[in-house]
Amino acid sequence: MTDGPLIVQSDKTLLLEVDHEQAEACRRAIAPFAELERSPEHVHTYRITPLGLWNARAAGHDAEQVVNALLNFSRYAVPHALLVDVAETMARYGRLKLLKHPVHGLVLEATDRPVLEEVIRSAKMRPLLGERVDPDTVVVHPSERGTVKQVLLKLGWPAEDLAGYVDGEAHPIELFEDGWELRAYQREAVSNFWHGGSGVVVLPCGAGKTIVGAAAMAQAGATTLILVTNTVSARQWKHELIKRTSLTEEEIGEYSGSRKEIRPVTIATYQIMTTRRKGVYAHLELFDERDWGLIIYDEVHLLPAPIFRFTADIQSRRRLGLTATLVREDGREGDVFSLIGPKRYDAPWKDIEAQGWIAPADCVEVRVTLTDHERLAYATAEPEERYRLCATARSKTPVVEELVARHHGDRVLVIGQYLDQLDALGERLDAPVLKGETTIKERERLFEAFRTGEIPTLVVSKVANFSIDLPEAAVAIQVSGTFGSRQEEAQRLGRVLRPKADGRTARFYTVVSRDTQDQEYAAHRQRFLAEQGYAYRIVDSHELDRLDATD
Amino acid sequence: MTVEAAPRSLADVLRTWDDPALVELLRARPDLITPVPTDLAALAARAGSVPSAARVLDRLDRFSLDVVEALAVLAEPMSVAAVCDALPTAPRDDVMHVVDQCRTLALVFGPPEDLRLVRAVVDALGPSPAGLGPALAATHDRLAAILASPGGLTGLLIDAPDGARQALEQLAWGPPNGRVDNARRPLGDPAAARTPVDWLLAHELLVGVGPDSVVLPREVGLHLREGIVHREAQPDAPGIRTTDHGQDQVDQSAAAQAFTSVRLVETLLESWGLEPPTILRAGGLGVRELRRTAAALDVDERTAGLIIETAYAAALVGADGQLDEAYAPTPSYDLWLTRDTADRWATLAEAWLASNRVAGAVGDRDDRDKVMAALGPDLDRSAASEMRHVVLRELAALPPGAAADASSLVDRLDWLRPRRGGRRRSELIEWTMEEAELLGITGRGALSGPARALVSDDAHEAVRRLAPMLPQPLDHVLLQADLTAVAPGPLESGLAAELSLMADIESTGGATVFRFSPSSVRRALDAGRSAGDLHSMLAARSRTPVPQPLSYLIDDVARRHGQIRVGAASAYVRCDDEAVLSELVADRRSAPLRLRRLAPTVVAAQAPVDQVLNGLRTMGYAPAAESTDGSVVVRRPDTHRTPPRQRPPRLRTEPAIPGDTLLSAAVRAIRAGERASTAPRGRTVGAPLGGVLPRSTTAETLGTLKRAVDSGKSLWIGYVDTHGGVSDRVVDPIRLAGGYLTAFDHRLGEVHTFAVHRITGVAELDDDPGDNAGSEFSGRSDPDPEGVA
Repeated sequence: MTDGPLIVQSDKTLLLEVDHEQAEACRRAIAPFAELERSPEHVHTYRITPLGLWNARAAGHDAEQVVNALLNFSRYAVPHALLVDVAETMARYGRLKLLKHPVHGLVLEATDRPVLEEVIRSAKMRPLLGERVDPDTVVVHPSERGTVKQVLLKLGWPAEDLAGYVDGEAHPIELFEDGWELRAYQREAVSNFWHGGSGVVVLPCGAGKTIVGAAAMAQAGATTLILVTNTVSARQWKHELIKRTSLTEEEIGEYSGSRKEIRPVTIATYQIMTTRRKGVYAHLELFDERDWGLIIYDEVHLLPAPIFRFTADIQSRRRLGLTATLVREDGREGDVFSLIGPKRYDAPWKDIEAQGWIAPADCVEVRVTLTDHERLAYATAEPEERYRLCATARSKTPVVEELVARHHGDRVLVIGQYLDQLDALGERLDAPVLKGETTIKERERLFEAFRTGEIPTLVVSKVANFSIDLPEAAVAIQVSGTFGSRQEEAQRLGRVLRPKADGRTARFYTVVSRDTQDQEYAAHRQRFLAEQGYAYRIVDSHELDRLDATD
Repeated sequence: MTVEAAPRSLADVLRTWDDPALVELLRARPDLITPVPTDLAALAARAGSVPSAARVLDRLDRFSLDVVEALAVLAEPMSVAAVCDALPTAPRDDVMHVVDQCRTLALVFGPPEDLRLVRAVVDALGPSPAGLGPALAATHDRLAAILASPGGLTGLLIDAPDGARQALEQLAWGPPNGRVDNARRPLGDPAAARTPVDWLLAHELLVGVGPDSVVLPREVGLHLREGIVHREAQPDAPGIRTTDHGQDQVDQSAAAQAFTSVRLVETLLESWGLEPPTILRAGGLGVRELRRTAAALDVDERTAGLIIETAYAAALVGADGQLDEAYAPTPSYDLWLTRDTADRWATLAEAWLASNRVAGAVGDRDDRDKVMAALGPDLDRSAASEMRHVVLRELAALPPGAAADASSLVDRLDWLRPRRGGRRRSELIEWTMEEAELLGITGRGALSGPARALVSDDAHEAVRRLAPMLPQPLDHVLLQADLTAVAPGPLESGLAAELSLMADIESTGGATVFRFSPSSVRRALDAGRSAGDLHSMLAARSRTPVPQPLSYLIDDVARRHGQIRVGAASAYVRCDDEAVLSELVADRRSAPLRLRRLAPTVVAAQAPVDQVLNGLRTMGYAPAAESTDGSVVVRRPDTHRTPPRQRPPRLRTEPAIPGDTLLSAAVRAIRAGERASTAPRGRTVGAPLGGVLPRSTTAETLGTLKRAVDSGKSLWIGYVDTHGGVSDRVVDPIRLAGGYLTAFDHRLGEVHTFAVHRITGVAELDDDPGDNAGSEFSGRSDPDPEGVA
């Protein structure tokens, strides 16, 4: 029995005691293969999954390293069965390789013939494969490269894709590092991605994913297609690229609902790509419009299914996925692995925060006691109406007002789900409301005014969930949400995590109706935030004074 | 008669043995002294019985069996030299050694050049020892004639038709039976044979034994084998291929697994204590219950089956005996819980080692294609416990830290115990290795230090060795803002129980992760803890400050806890006039109704409705009954326990090897019996030998006595005296009346009265008793516990 910081659980989770002196070394050793699941204050939880182990293999780690890491740092004996399982799972990656054959083109080659026999016999594989050129090699039709990888992953024999990439149409791009420079972790992320060929870089919100994208483009020096979640985000990318690189306004096109420009660097939204006309995805041919040298997927965890389908067909182009989390609520992590590529870089939020790149946040849940009238209305409401009723309870309004008043002088975002509630709040707070129907132009004006401090308080609907850059928001007040989605939580928190000029702690309030569904969803949120390592407190609305006392 | 009718009997041989030799015999064949035979003749009879011989053969190794088989098929006189010829690969010294060993086991006697095999051994070997058929020359004339002819079999086979020799070769090395249509056809003229089989049957080189089966006579088989019984007799046991993992690694891995298995048993029984799974009508645990249990334990079904069976073997779980029978922990589980982990493990490991139930077969299908259930009736395998001992002893013989290669272990056990375990032996061995690993008896395939002590029957030492290897129980946890508590190691059992009351277990292993939720906190409050208790408990046991959200959660749940009250009542009384109810409650006569005022206008009563109605009427009121619906009885069932259950008896296929004192006492007793049965022979003419009491039915006894009174013949009787002492007498009956026999007792030399109901049996005496007089009563001379003093 050693005295290591790591405890291996029977469900293949790893518990890392962070206050242990070897914790940092241990984290480094296990990070390549174990997915960080939760990072509350004392004990972090990692999980060993086949995908994680294959990610590690793809990054050049072998089973021996994994086993050694477990044995060296584990406090108690590691179950032998788990070690065997790790070795066996890792050995499955790379038994099959996709290669470019000088004569036959794309081939699937096996280092282990029985495995090849097994997959060839699978009903799903048979139609994807061509002639068997020798006992260990089978021809794969070039258009099936992605599908073959998907199917092989499902069969448990993930293939290593070594078939290489087309260079694409060259287009020189350079980074302008004037007054700023690529941070060390960004540089490492780009270099890992480039050596791996294709894959996903995992960085928290506010850690500069756009810059990683720009640096990757500079490295590729080729025409690039960037897929983003929405138009605002597309504009932001464009803005950032013009600022950080040698690209000019004319070289960057926007392909969205309003504009259809195709230029050497084109930014398109997921929405336009997945718009169907008469049952056909009319805009998917954008992928073939130019000879793209690089395709960037922003927010990979939100990538819609049709894009996966098309991505399967463009496996010969370099693909870079950017995301804050590999966890998809639809569970399609395997598709990300096989179609975009393995994880190439990952840094935990807290580490980046500790390095000072994102602001620390203080999360406070404020519980509002409903009036008897509201309670009765809630108790008798139809099930589908209940959440709306408690989330938009009028009792919340005075609390929000008090909070805004308390942070007089700070820039405050009020975030909500229900428009009537937001409108009412906007009126009471005398603040503009930004929602789906607000024009892009108006949005940009409001954001600009908010940035300069002209408007201290902004009420926003869920359109602000993604990819808008509000650098100076120090306080966010959440009044209602989408049924406790963890994803949304991460995004909303991201709004206030941009580093502040004076390094202050950001505040993230959630106003919750006591003893209702609202509170249940809040529990999910609390768990998520606490698991991410954020300080979390609960106060009663009539005790807000005590909050400041502890400040 | 089971003793060979040879010039010299086994009994005679035993009479020449000295005491140490007898002690050795009884040590090696302990079944011979249960019960202690009365004298050497009885001992010889028992040693010469087929079941006893089969027991000895079961324990012989492959090579010894080869030698015994060679002796069984060779024609007499048998010599060591002949055995060596029959086993070309066997060195003479080794054969000699085996023969000597068989001699001490009373299987073989006689000098090396004229060896005799006890008849029962031949029978115990089965119909075709060494794959050779029965010897048929004595009963089949044509075969005998061929063997006796100058050219012999060789000469005949030269002229054999095509295919005949091949047919013989096929059966030559066994099994000697073949299938032929119409095998019992009349013997034809060999010259007229149309097919090779016809020809063989006509010459009686094949003999029909059934409608469509033939057998190759032993003589022909041996001839074809050129006199060789076993081609590859190996005097040395095959070695075990090993991999060295280092004892430290092995111990560490095994200790972790030992800890896990104890934890799993505990988790299993805690969950069964709360929700006992029902027992299938055919016995055992249903497949769905097994699956549910496996999911609850977070292990696969095989492991779950092993854990359940092990808990059962250790008598920690049993049927609760209720109407809807279910499995639940036994009271001994509660005792087990209080002991140290190492101690608890030793209990489990010992129980597993001694149990003949095989968890590995759970989920397999039996002969009738029925799935075998865990705890079901079909899991007993008579050889399981012995196999486990044998496997572990083999592992113990390896150097420390060495893991055995499974297939080489199977090979070695095939050699060591070829007759044990039946068809599925290799399966049993595999299961044993697998289960030993899961229970932490082995680690990475090698025997752990503590288990080594356990194998040598020293549980105390095993516990002593294991204890320091196990993680030490902790008295603290780490509390986190995501409402989890992490215990970075095993917890003291009180703390563990308290925590699992107030939080749900989320993950187990080296550490335990607990999660607090409103429902788990409510559970603690329901169990009588106050919010203050929980706060102070957490503050005392947490190494880190208690996170604010957790304190808030406890207060929040406590705030609402008990807001709504629920209680039990059998009846209620309601009345719009509050004064009437006040009067009623204050009235002493209402005391038996056990009234309690819930609200100004409502009173609850513990007495049933009819009693309340009657009571109120006698008090002078005129109550009206309301519908009785709505009386709810809320009761939280306590955890289930079965009535006490004994540990299942250790099923032993072999009697325990008796100690030296017992052995020498047994030999003394036999010697004494021998003297007793031979000494009176000098004085009492016609007294029977053997000392084995005659037994006969009451009717026979009375009949025989009556006839003897008439004829005046001597009788041998067994008699139980008033102190329960048993003896045998030789008497001349004189009178039979009133339930008493008056007779002349030869041993006492006087006339004596015997109560007829105390006579165990009678036997008439031959006028000319033979040397081996015991044989006279052979039909009744089976060892009988009641017949021995």
